[in-house]
Amino acid sequence: MPREHLLKIGVSGIRGVVGEFLTPHLTCGFAQAFGTYVGAGRVVVGRDTRPSGQMLQHAVACGLLATGCEVVYVGILPTPTIQVYVGATRARGGIAITASHNPPEYNALKLFNGRGLFFNHYERSELLDLYHQSDFRQAANEEIRGIVFDLETAPGLHFERILKHVDAERIRQRRFRVGLDAVNGAGSLMSCQFLEQVLGCRLHAISVDPGRPFPRVAEPRPDTLGDLSELVRRENCEIGFAQDPDGDRLGVADETGRVLDNDDVLALVVDAALERLPGPVVVNLSTSAAIEEVAAAHGCRVYRTPVGEANVVEMMEAVNAVIGGEGANGGIIFPPVQLCRDSYTGMAFLLDRMARTGLSISELAARLPRYWRRQGQFRYEHGRLGPLMQALEDEFAGAVLDRTEGLKVLLKDGWIHVRASNTEPVVRVAVEARSEAGVAEWYGRVARLVA
Amino acid sequence: MPLRGGKELRISHVGLRGVVGAGLTAGHALDFASAFGAFLGPGGPVVVGRDPRSSGAMLREGVIAALLACGHDVISLGVVSTPVIQHVIRRLGAAGGISIGASHNAAEWNALKFFGPRGVYLSTAEAGELLDIYHLRKFDFVPHDQLGKLRHEDAALDWYLDELAAVYDFEPLKRFKVVVDCCNGTSSPILKRLNERFGFDILRINERVEGVAFAHEPSTTARMVALQLAPLIQPLQADAGFLFDVDSDRVALATDEGAPVSEEIVLPMLADYLLPRGAGKRVIANLSSTALLEEVAGWHGGKVVRVPVGRQAAMDALASFRPEQIAVAGEGTGAVMMPQFRFIYDGIASMLAILSMMAERKQKLSEIVAGYPRYSILKGEVPLVSQRIPALLTELRARYAEGQLNLVDGLRVDFPGRWFHVRVSQTEPLVRIICEQRGDPPRALYAELLEQVRSYS
Repeated sequence: MPREHLLKIGVSGIRGVVGEFLTPHLTCGFAQAFGTYVGAGRVVVGRDTRPSGQMLQHAVACGLLATGCEVVYVGILPTPTIQVYVGATRARGGIAITASHNPPEYNALKLFNGRGLFFNHYERSELLDLYHQSDFRQAANEEIRGIVFDLETAPGLHFERILKHVDAERIRQRRFRVGLDAVNGAGSLMSCQFLEQVLGCRLHAISVDPGRPFPRVAEPRPDTLGDLSELVRRENCEIGFAQDPDGDRLGVADETGRVLDNDDVLALVVDAALERLPGPVVVNLSTSAAIEEVAAAHGCRVYRTPVGEANVVEMMEAVNAVIGGEGANGGIIFPPVQLCRDSYTGMAFLLDRMARTGLSISELAARLPRYWRRQGQFRYEHGRLGPLMQALEDEFAGAVLDRTEGLKVLLKDGWIHVRASNTEPVVRVAVEARSEAGVAEWYGRVARLVA
Repeated sequence: MPLRGGKELRISHVGLRGVVGAGLTAGHALDFASAFGAFLGPGGPVVVGRDPRSSGAMLREGVIAALLACGHDVISLGVVSTPVIQHVIRRLGAAGGISIGASHNAAEWNALKFFGPRGVYLSTAEAGELLDIYHLRKFDFVPHDQLGKLRHEDAALDWYLDELAAVYDFEPLKRFKVVVDCCNGTSSPILKRLNERFGFDILRINERVEGVAFAHEPSTTARMVALQLAPLIQPLQADAGFLFDVDSDRVALATDEGAPVSEEIVLPMLADYLLPRGAGKRVIANLSSTALLEEVAGWHGGKVVRVPVGRQAAMDALASFRPEQIAVAGEGTGAVMMPQFRFIYDGIASMLAILSMMAERKQKLSEIVAGYPRYSILKGEVPLVSQRIPALLTELRARYAEGQLNLVDGLRVDFPGRWFHVRVSQTEPLVRIICEQRGDPPRALYAELLEQVRSYS
């Protein structure tokens, strides 16, 4: 594997394979840059369940303390919960130690401002410059503050915000039979508490031991959730939920055990949100056109951004969106709870929808516009991206082109999006069409060019 | 004007020491702890503790991260004295330990000290290897599934007291009323526990463990004893007063009459106490310590081995003897090591030895001190550029050629009844002048030396 992908330091922050690549030194340096950037004050630090989290947590604390920040350690928590806590406690900022859906050998820092939001692109560039200049604030002994622990309050704050937007009583009355696969991640304990105690579900949970390794591929996708499907069928669940290790992404299985496309999950949640309050919707370029149809039914407009939570969030803030997200990778963003991907809001919205309509999750999904989709990835090589894009333009001559990120080819009744991944050495291809044959044909034509 | 580089940061065989922020940074803690992790080799837990300075929390986080990254489990003791760390390393059979604390330096300083297996300081050769790894920055970070684990150990203080109780007979010591100036350091919780667990009668002042503002300069000198501790002794009708530095490895004292005693007296006193008790007849001391030692050693058929100033020289000298050959080792600063405690600089153990001496001899502390012939010592320092030091030493050597010369560390010259030592500080860009005489202070000699050294500045 090319060395540069084992460590990535850029506008998105710092991410890498722990050991020879992501070292305590680099992590501490990044925390020093962060502490210098946000200024001396309280900074919240939490993490997911990766084995490297403990080591990195101390490196982060070291860097923050060295710049005169006070560290508020919140323990193992989902990223959205950390973000809610940062905003609610008026901290200077927050750091979540997690590589999200990446494999267990990776780790990374997610950096938040005082409102618990990702920094915008310009702020992130400033922070990166600060890191490279290494001109950190060096606190003297009398300026150095300590570490305080608050391992209790964050989940309650998060739940409280969600419950303002669903009819919790109605959900509890239904006593839903729910399956859960928390991948032994940061949501392991909190998701059980949420579904069982807060929403009164009859819970059947697997992989909810935060002390054990991830038992499956960390990203919750249809092809990785076999255990959840089986659980749902075995226990006759009405719905199954799956999280990634830091609890921001959500996968959903219907009562037959079929895992829904994440685009459809997002479309269901967008529909639910717009029904309550119409307004602008923001999704990334690789998200299904079903979102436009759902939004149009409510008379709402959809904005598109490059892939990446920070990009979507930045646009959502700019257009004052009421709902947003990222289709293929299972991210639902509902600003009144917190402007971030949040699997808990997603779970609550879907249960609320089922309780209100009396329909099963498969019936709800069946009412969505029908699209066929295919995603794939190909090896990335330097110098090949440009010619590939040229070839795609020629292949689909006459189509409308969107060059916001990589190349999106807009066709009649469908689209093709080809781009380089931000986090892995791969070229990602996404195709959507009205028919199964259409997807197969377009995907085949792209694959021949890329491979 | 700083006369040598690195005034705010010193990296040497003794470890690293600096003013936090201005000199000593998070990066140094990570680099040094990573180098130490690589130095120790794979496996084995490392014990980590710190003194109460606020910067200690920051440095500890970095040290823990680096050690875990190197695959070492970490046993964190929180705020404890350096001797406690050393005892825990031995007790748990740990691979080594790191003490974060700047001892007798002002609050804005901090430092890392490194210990090998059994809690001993690194030898000069080992420390050199650690430095090489540090400079090379070639660390042995392990994959994500082999990282070390952190655990906290709260029993360390009691383990330490168990060891002290095994060496000293506490019973007669409980009778003494003792006043201690903790200087807001790590001695405070230890002494509190001695009272609670064993019924000692120790009254503590400046007992609040403090991260920023120490009650006074944390050095174990007669001047600091005179400040707050000595005036309390007589009003409280105490039998003795002790002053500890922040990490409790050094001690100074005040007698039952409330007289501050020169810090130089601690080592000769303990030599006087320990020489007749065991087979060990050698006393290891540095060249700057009082000549009273030779006199006291002579009473008991002992012999003083003089070594260069600095912990490292003392450790290397110790290594060249068998432990049972040594009665005691230490410095004129009140830092003393005893064989019963495996040669750990330990102020608390020194205090207990002095109290035991009082109990066994049935003498007041003032009577014991009065039993020693009077020596007067004068100390001074002159900033000096490094280039001129050899010329200075050459001139002094020629001028005082009639004395007995020792060139191991700067220049020490002995004359009948008096001596002087001119040496270059290891921690600051200074030349130190130490001059001692049996009886009255050697003012003329001291003035003469001062003038000569200054002519080179």
